[in-house]
Amino acid sequence: MMRKGRSSRGYGWLSPLLWLSLLLSACLGMEGLKGLFRLVEPDSQALIYDRADFIVLLGRHLLVVGVAALLAILLGVGAAVAVTRPGGRDFLPLVGQLASIGQTFPPVAVLALAVPVLGFGTLPIIVALLLYGLLPIVRNTLAGLEGIDPGVAEAARGMGMTGGQRLRQVELPLAAPVILAGIRTSVTINIATAAIGATVGASNLGDPIISGIVNGNTAHVLQGALLIGLLALSVDSLFARFQPASSS
Amino acid sequence: MIELIHVTKRFGDAVAVDDISLSVGKGELCVLVGTSGCGKSTTLRMINRLIEHSDGEIHLDGQPVREFREEVLRRRIGYAIQSTGLFPHWTVERNIGLVPRLLKWPANRVRERVEELMALLELSMTEFADKYPSQLSGGQAQRVGVARALAADPEILLMDEPFGALDPITRESLQDELARLQARLHKTIVFVTHDMDEALRLADRLVVMNQGRIVQQGHPIELLRAPADAFVESLLGGEDRGLKEAALLPVSERMSPLGPGPLAEERIARDATLREALSVMLWRHVEHLAVVDDDEVPIGELSLRRLVGARDHDA
Repeated sequence: MMRKGRSSRGYGWLSPLLWLSLLLSACLGMEGLKGLFRLVEPDSQALIYDRADFIVLLGRHLLVVGVAALLAILLGVGAAVAVTRPGGRDFLPLVGQLASIGQTFPPVAVLALAVPVLGFGTLPIIVALLLYGLLPIVRNTLAGLEGIDPGVAEAARGMGMTGGQRLRQVELPLAAPVILAGIRTSVTINIATAAIGATVGASNLGDPIISGIVNGNTAHVLQGALLIGLLALSVDSLFARFQPASSS
Repeated sequence: MIELIHVTKRFGDAVAVDDISLSVGKGELCVLVGTSGCGKSTTLRMINRLIEHSDGEIHLDGQPVREFREEVLRRRIGYAIQSTGLFPHWTVERNIGLVPRLLKWPANRVRERVEELMALLELSMTEFADKYPSQLSGGQAQRVGVARALAADPEILLMDEPFGALDPITRESLQDELARLQARLHKTIVFVTHDMDEALRLADRLVVMNQGRIVQQGHPIELLRAPADAFVESLLGGEDRGLKEAALLPVSERMSPLGPGPLAEERIARDATLREALSVMLWRHVEHLAVVDDDEVPIGELSLRRLVGARDHDA
């Protein structure tokens, strides 16, 4: 699972802008693709999903993924930093294993377990995404911090930097490209995974997919899938834009 | 001044440094030599507490190092290592200014100090200040490393094989530079190396270590003339010792006054080493050299006989 995102290929802003504009035009102008969906659902009355605006669903989708990512970053980077400090070294294997378990545990199972405790709605899906997204962040933060040139670490200590100064001025900046790659993997996976939130009443871009499956309307499934795919590509290309080339 | 009093370092059951005592006077350049794993690096790193000693005491100007806060101690001691340890995400200027900034010097004073040091180490400010370490050659990076170690004008400098990774020519030029700097700055320096020529060339005091103990210490010439045991003798170069000693003595020490006869054709500078003089003789197939001063004026002569046979002469 150490997928390191493809390194930025020097398109600059071109590729993120392209995907973002495709995403927005698909959100606002799904009507225009009616002809296309007619091909898969020739007999359907409701060819375009209309129980909510796509743009609203997109907003909710982003919110859920964003909150989960923020929590996963705080928790994941925090835990990885803690276990690479002298006082926390003993917990390093434990944290690595916990993060791995978080990812082997299927998000659907997390939802099934979380709903009785947290009720229906947005909260269980945030918990599920948080657990699922932790591993790449923890793994990459550990790899980034442990991968720092021992000579640099030694010099930082020998020059008289305190632990906090070394972390903020040396370790985190040098590990940043690898950490960012982990966040990128985590967020991209979770954009797709968030769709299952629709099964527990967290309304997002998964809604058209779930409702399409339930009502046997392939056009709705395709509309949800198309938007989620474009969203994932947009976000991924934004990361590629900001990720320094030195990461690989 | 640095004092190690019966210092021992154990890693688990292994004894890395075994009950050593050593005193490095103010302004002295003390070189620790020995084979890999003899404890010389460990000894060095115990002084700035990158490694904590197990037993004994280490004093800095009479004060035990354990009484300092680690960071405060290290900011008082310059530190240069073989891999330079320059921060790859910082420019040369920022790297050099690290310790002064940690000591909260005002920005303009840091800037002035960096300029001063770059001039001292012959690094052009306009060319190098904004470069990153990856854009430097090995020798330039090591100069920056030394400049960084000197930045806060520490009394004491610890150098752990600083020139070990450089090619022979760059290494020699940096050794010359260090000798020149030391003649000007009079720092108290502890220098670790396994390169015996480097050690002999730089040391005021040479400390030979083996298996965690100090086997012998003293001025390089003393050690060359009277090695304590077979280990020191072999480390000092065995049969090569004569040449190594000759490399430490200037021509002026063995030359004789100008005689009445004709002057030898081949010339040698007064401050060249006897080793260089011998090399010129071998190369030119001559037994006599004219010794000249800095202005190429003959001031004496050196015969092969005096060059090799003068040991009883200066004793």
